[in-house]
Amino acid sequence: MNPFTLALLFFGLLLGTTITLTSSHWLVAWMGLEINTLAIIPLMAKQHHPRATEATTKYFLTQATAAATLLFASTTNAWLTGQWDIQLMTHPIPTTIIILALALKIGLAPLHTWLPEVLQGLDLFTGLILSTWQKLAPFSLLLQIPAANQQVLILLGLASTLVGGWGGLNQTQLRKILAYSSIAHLGWMLIILQFTPSLTLLALITYVIMTSSLFLIFNYNTTTNINSLATAWAKAPLLTSIAPLLLLSLGGLPPMTGFMPKWLILQELTKQQLPMTATIAALTALLSLYFYLRLSYAMTLTITPNNLANTTPWRLPSMKRALPITITALSTTLLLPLAPAMLALVTL
Amino acid sequence: MSLVQMSRLSVTRLALHAQNHHLLLSSSVSPLITFKRTMLQDPYRRPGQPKENKFPWEKINFDLSKGLAGIKKHFALLKKEFADRWVGPEGKPIIEHLLEQNRVVWEFRGPESLEDWVVSSDREIGGHSEAYLKIGRNNNTCLLYGTLNSTPPRDGETRYSGYCTMKSKQQLSSFDRKKHFDWTSFNTLHLRVRGDGRPWMINIGFETYFSHQKDDLYSYFLYTRGGPYWQDVKIPFSKFFLTHRGRIQDDQHCLWLDKVNSIGFTLGDKADGPFQLEIDFIGVCKDYAHTEEFAYEVYKRNPEV
Repeated sequence: MNPFTLALLFFGLLLGTTITLTSSHWLVAWMGLEINTLAIIPLMAKQHHPRATEATTKYFLTQATAAATLLFASTTNAWLTGQWDIQLMTHPIPTTIIILALALKIGLAPLHTWLPEVLQGLDLFTGLILSTWQKLAPFSLLLQIPAANQQVLILLGLASTLVGGWGGLNQTQLRKILAYSSIAHLGWMLIILQFTPSLTLLALITYVIMTSSLFLIFNYNTTTNINSLATAWAKAPLLTSIAPLLLLSLGGLPPMTGFMPKWLILQELTKQQLPMTATIAALTALLSLYFYLRLSYAMTLTITPNNLANTTPWRLPSMKRALPITITALSTTLLLPLAPAMLALVTL
Repeated sequence: MSLVQMSRLSVTRLALHAQNHHLLLSSSVSPLITFKRTMLQDPYRRPGQPKENKFPWEKINFDLSKGLAGIKKHFALLKKEFADRWVGPEGKPIIEHLLEQNRVVWEFRGPESLEDWVVSSDREIGGHSEAYLKIGRNNNTCLLYGTLNSTPPRDGETRYSGYCTMKSKQQLSSFDRKKHFDWTSFNTLHLRVRGDGRPWMINIGFETYFSHQKDDLYSYFLYTRGGPYWQDVKIPFSKFFLTHRGRIQDDQHCLWLDKVNSIGFTLGDKADGPFQLEIDFIGVCKDYAHTEEFAYEVYKRNPEV
């Protein structure tokens, strides 16, 4: 793509999220979300493949619906309460509608069906932007809304962890697996939203780092399904050896970073007298862990039948950038001891 | 009636006139409003025949026993789908999915395997070609045979004719949802055929989203050699090019193998006379030596000078 156009679109993405992050008026926040949607549309359709166009269309339709619903609910709130401030929403009906609209925006169950198909139609880098950057703006709004409806938030959260775990179980396409993992993590973020919003922010930050590392590794190996992932040991053996750690971190196992949000969320849920919710969330995380383990099995713990010992490809130095992988991979594995500092960072 | 006159009509008069919509609009403009036909699921209309103007509820046939049998079948399929998930992707353990390098997708080992295929020729549009499908000797192969006749039908619309085709039916999972083939682990189509020297076209139908992609197919040639010996044909999927209604498209992209719906063979080589194609099996395999992603380059159509 023309570098000026690319720069303009990235600037548009940056602008949209920044506008939403810094807004206190619903109209300005909606505007930021729309700028985000419109800026990413050409990036998604850049490939010109019919599947990319299909993914772009589906993304645009869902995001436009969500934005329209958001606008409708904020207008209703303005009508009922006389003000447009995000943090002063008192009426339960517009609040619930806005939560559902934002759930459609980020892809929470049961409004998640677009996410695997859309991610499958994109190349890995655009998928990375979709999974990470595009979640920041809606979450900034979710964090600011006074948590009114206890049931709907917990329901969305548990449904997402369940659907994210169950849906990803028999996928062989990596982008769909990452979509379902995204749904599951978003569920974890939403469960704790009404009790300790800072833990939601912590979970979001750690999720962004972990999923970026995975996307970047898959991009480095240029692989989009499990079978081609199995040949990664010949292309980048060091990456292949640390990838299981990253996957286990995404699954929430100690001593990796991914354990931190899960542990703190479960602790907080127990303190809030919700042991059943905590149990269900923890059990559904096991489903996600199963397909992360399957990925690490296919990648590192097996050698495919194709590359025999005397047909190993040339280990030419790769032209792809490795610094982002380095940073995100280190952060994904080593940040658990810094838990108090990270908590202090995200305390709102 | 011109568009200016149409805009002055009231709604009811407009609706009355819509019955005779071929008078309402000039023939170069397609109908803007179709009251009686749904635009999405039109069955095939033979050129020269009048359009069937039935409401959807006039086309229903009720039958209780068929309904009950249908419920049983679909719930059984749904249960199987759930149960398969416990085993692994596509009902096979993951280790089998990782190790799979060849897969036979269609095999002709008995008359019931012909149920998966649809044979048609230009007889549908009023031509004179014939095509039949039968199981070959020893229940081991299928034989597509018939006669090609390129005399166009005399219906005033059709100019060319003379084709025969065989296409696999769309696979359906529970409740008549489409089931796609996931061939991402493979990169080559492997057929074992015995033809009569004619050039055939292999068409792969993939899952589309927009309605204008309805007739999109990926095609490639199959040159048969005739003779009594079997021919093993291996065509990499990177060689397939995108066509729409038989015409090669300018904007080419590689075939995405994660949602393939059907495969078909078409004969339209303008040579009148009998033809035969015997197919042993159709499978997909992984050729590790084939690293090409797409065989065709796309150049800028209107380069700036």
